[in-house]
Amino acid sequence: MAGNENSGGYRPTAPQNNPANVSATGGAGGSGTQAPTYIPGMKSLGSTGVETMAQQGAAPMAGAPQAPIFSKELGSLLDPTNNPNEPVTAGVDAGPGPGSDVLPKNINANTRPDENKMIVQKYLPTLLAAANLPDTPDSYKRFINYLLEQQ
Amino acid sequence: MSKVAWLPGSLFDNIDKFANSLGYQNAAIAIELAQQSWESPEDRNAFIYAITGEDIQGATESNYPIRNLRR
Repeated sequence: MAGNENSGGYRPTAPQNNPANVSATGGAGGSGTQAPTYIPGMKSLGSTGVETMAQQGAAPMAGAPQAPIFSKELGSLLDPTNNPNEPVTAGVDAGPGPGSDVLPKNINANTRPDENKMIVQKYLPTLLAAANLPDTPDSYKRFINYLLEQQ
Repeated sequence: MSKVAWLPGSLFDNIDKFANSLGYQNAAIAIELAQQSWESPEDRNAFIYAITGEDIQGATESNYPIRNLRR
């Protein structure tokens, strides 16, 4: 078998293995046009599905415009609101505005216990040191006791 | 450390205010918010009031011990 020595296997110089080659249209790599689609039942119109696919490839139709996920740059937590007519408590079961029933189902999961556990493990030694200071307020000590009970 | 720990606007003061105002069950978000660089305790308190609609909980400045720094 005297094949081409370059065939097969991993080729580090191939364009698909060059990390600098990234799609200009984003992660999906779409070209902005619709892919050819096989359409059955074309014989009655004097063509075949294969021929129709070839024609679609030669003159592709424009794809649907892709809207960016965030229409503008995200600000910081302390920036003024972009939605001045929406209460800050919209989506929360407290205060003015709609409650959590307006939120999508997949973000309704209660992740607080897990988040609390992670944050407690990360910061508890420091928080505990502050709780042991002679002038620490009782309200802070009660909070630290709560965190200790949650462990 | 003990000389600055409970000054208004310090990290531990922020933690005290956020944890007691948002509820202990929101400990994670309270600690994260406490680490933001708030311009002043009043700014922080205004934020807490905006999201809770209630007065700030936790130790008040009148609870802070009067320090004798020459001690």
